[in-house]
Amino acid sequence: MLNLIMQLQMLLAALSMFLPLVPSESRIRAAEIIDVVAKALAAGNAIGANLDDLAAKLASIRAEVEAMAAAGREVSAEELESAMTRVRSASAAFRAALETAEAGAG
Amino acid sequence: MRHPLRAFVLGIALALTPACAALQLGETQIENPMSAARTLDQRAYALLNAYAAVIEEATDIVRDPSAPLAFKRALGQAERVATPAAETLQVAVTAYVRARSDFEAASGASQPAIERAAAALTIAAQRLSQAIEAARAPVSELEGLVRARRG
Repeated sequence: MLNLIMQLQMLLAALSMFLPLVPSESRIRAAEIIDVVAKALAAGNAIGANLDDLAAKLASIRAEVEAMAAAGREVSAEELESAMTRVRSASAAFRAALETAEAGAG
Repeated sequence: MRHPLRAFVLGIALALTPACAALQLGETQIENPMSAARTLDQRAYALLNAYAAVIEEATDIVRDPSAPLAFKRALGQAERVATPAAETLQVAVTAYVRARSDFEAASGASQPAIERAAAALTIAAQRLSQAIEAARAPVSELEGLVRARRG
């Protein structure tokens, strides 16, 4: 997604350079349209950054598991407990956030 | 042609568009940690950690005031199914690790003791394998929702 947004931003930047060539009666309108699209792309970029966050976390887990597999190492009971603690803690935070969202809507 | 310069500039912009689209800058790749695992315990560990990462991301979506409430509820429903499956997976993997340890400890024991430990390990491995399969679908469902919102 970030790739697509970046490409659109580049295209938009290139198009905005040609604004002086637009007939003067339409130039302001064209600039407004480009501005709105640029703002929408910036918002999309922020969302894409969150997706990158998930991708980074998954990549880090994969690297850890790859290292375990390459070393032929078994997962310890402590590592499993730590993974489950992370799940429980994330689940509790998620449910609390959902409750807050429900309360805010009601 | 009334506006040859404009036509020329538009032609250049259109010609450059496929070149821009071919760029692979900043591409987001979602890794699958489970595919790197070679053993059952590694698969379980990868799945539990990946699930935690997905819920953390889902929490950010739920905290986002611009996300629709119906979508947040759908995430909540998926989480309520996936977390118990992760709990079951944790019980199964803990039992498997214990059975494996018992089997290793029984290597110097009598033949019946070794056979008992081997049978217990086989059962624990089967249960773990089933728990991994059972957890994959609900975890994937939550991950799919998160990606649908983010991607």
